[in-house]
Amino acid sequence: MNPRLGGFVLLLLMWHGAAVMAGDYDFIIPEAEKKPYELGGRLEGRYIYHRLNEDAARYRLNYHQDDPGGETHAYQAQVELTGSYQWGPLKADLLTHHAYADTYEKNEWHNDLYEGYFSFTPTPHLVLDAGKKRILWGKGYAWNPAGFLNPPKDPDDPALNQEGRTLLALDLIKSLSTGGLANLGLTALLLPVIDNWANPEMGGENALNAAAKLYLLWYDTDIDFIYFEGEDQPRSLGLDAAKNLAENIEVHAELAYRQDVPRVTLKEDGSVKKTLADPVSWLAGIRYLNTIDTTFIAEYYHNGSGYDRDALRDFFAYQKTAVAQWQATADPATIQRAGRMTQPYYQQRNFAKDYFYLKISQKEPFDILYFTPWMTTVVNLQDFSFNLQPGMTWTPLTNLELNFRAAIPVGPANTEFGEKQDIVRPEWWVRYYF
Amino acid sequence: MHLKHPACFLVLCLVLLGPAAGHGDPLTGPQILAQVDRNLQPGDLEMYRKIINIEPDGRKKEFVLWFLKKDQDKVVTLFISPASEAGRATLRLGDNMWLYIPNVGKPIRITSMQSVVGGVFNNADIMRLDYGVEYDVAHLSEDQGQYLLDLKAKSGTVAYDRLQMWVLKKELVPSRIDCFAATGMRIKTLHFKEVKDIGEGSIRPAVMETDSPLYQGYRSVMISANLKKRRLPDEVFTLNYLPRIKDLR
Repeated sequence: MNPRLGGFVLLLLMWHGAAVMAGDYDFIIPEAEKKPYELGGRLEGRYIYHRLNEDAARYRLNYHQDDPGGETHAYQAQVELTGSYQWGPLKADLLTHHAYADTYEKNEWHNDLYEGYFSFTPTPHLVLDAGKKRILWGKGYAWNPAGFLNPPKDPDDPALNQEGRTLLALDLIKSLSTGGLANLGLTALLLPVIDNWANPEMGGENALNAAAKLYLLWYDTDIDFIYFEGEDQPRSLGLDAAKNLAENIEVHAELAYRQDVPRVTLKEDGSVKKTLADPVSWLAGIRYLNTIDTTFIAEYYHNGSGYDRDALRDFFAYQKTAVAQWQATADPATIQRAGRMTQPYYQQRNFAKDYFYLKISQKEPFDILYFTPWMTTVVNLQDFSFNLQPGMTWTPLTNLELNFRAAIPVGPANTEFGEKQDIVRPEWWVRYYF
Repeated sequence: MHLKHPACFLVLCLVLLGPAAGHGDPLTGPQILAQVDRNLQPGDLEMYRKIINIEPDGRKKEFVLWFLKKDQDKVVTLFISPASEAGRATLRLGDNMWLYIPNVGKPIRITSMQSVVGGVFNNADIMRLDYGVEYDVAHLSEDQGQYLLDLKAKSGTVAYDRLQMWVLKKELVPSRIDCFAATGMRIKTLHFKEVKDIGEGSIRPAVMETDSPLYQGYRSVMISANLKKRRLPDEVFTLNYLPRIKDLR
């Protein structure tokens, strides 16, 4: 060996040995240095395969003008960007969503501001927010009847970001050191409707909506009292609670009462009955973790404005009648009307009266770290149709998340899940965080 | 130190009385445990923790989190990295625990046996309160030149029903803790290493390693660093404040 090369190798070995002897642990944590700004984001690619049920009511309504056959494919690419900047007690936060979706029906771009707001925190007792921000209230996993301002949720993809609402918010926080009441928090919101850019879905021009939530931590129980009302929104009152019963058991519940909520009921002959109702909805749930790291989440949900078995039967019978008329007359007006009339039902994620939700997930089975397979089911307790959904989340590399799920609706004709458009809908998505 | 708080007063008494006890009567189990708590988490503080999950093939995944503690029963953690976890925050008030995930947008109640990072550490390990808050000393003995404390959980909401804690006599910090379920099964063992100053003169083990018969061949390591004394208002340790906790870093 060349003596100079030998010396270099010896030096390298000594340096390596010294490095090892310095210890197996690195005590330097560069992340401890805080910057006034933060930038980050998430890339996502998603593919959905639809195996279609050509006899389903929804299929006929959606595809009466064309024939996609027995299957369709959907692709989506999206990027979400986050940023924040802090000047002492003042902070600005931003979350933007940019997506390109390629589906059977259309190809389109979405560029949305999901969140953009200023926060002013003069003391930890008081926080003021102004701008566009997500509001998510309630304790349930699959449903939040008391979350009157919540955007529609996907319980099996909880990390999905959603668009916020434009608001002025005040948060008052107080901790108490004596008695059963440990914490108290009051959140008050004003949500104006201004043209097309501020809460247009919440009422007519210049309508003003108000909401409040009083949070109590009382004898180790979370309790929220919720209020929401607007010029074009029904008065809504909510109550929720959650508590840990043991080191592996949590229970939660929600109760919601709404006044003068417009309700549309569709009869088999296509006639429509419009009423004002005062629905009471509620939810009770439990989360249990066993000794082998299997988590069970079970919830019962009563949807006060939902439809019972007979109403659902009429609903599906009307759609089939409309399709039959269209096939006999070739007049698209009949089926187009059916499409409009059924919207109040289909706009709701679950439109029946009583549901049961169960999710079973196993943390890191077979010693595969950061891998969680799961299975969920949503059962319509009125018609006993159900949706079965196996899935998994795996993070094989830092910041890279792989997801899969397959929705399998099961039920006979004229039932909620039996009339779903898909026979099976597997879905794959990859997320990369930066 | 805020002497209005009875826990602070108790700790002060123990500090003042500690040397006297050392010259005369041997330390009792509760005295040893109180000193262990004081040495591991000296009062109200903030520090950084790096958690390293090590797989049998040597692959590693690191998490960095910011840790805040006040009094004996209030803990907040904030994940700083990796990017997929950044912004996640947990709050613990006694037996109550919550997790806030930015994408989910609201805090959810969690239990002590769950794990927010995967690997061998669970929430109770990461958001640990003082041992004296959750455990009573059932028995004190000596083993291999160290104190051996047998600790029994004060309530059913504590993650481990029983602990066996070996304590170094000179430093009064643990060297090893075996954690048992109510069935008597050993859930995991914590090994404490590298006793050193981790900030502001706090001399304690900077490294906690854990292994578990439930995760054969897997190890998790927690490194503590950058400790600073910091006293924050109680309102910081509340559910309403949790989404904003990173503003205080």
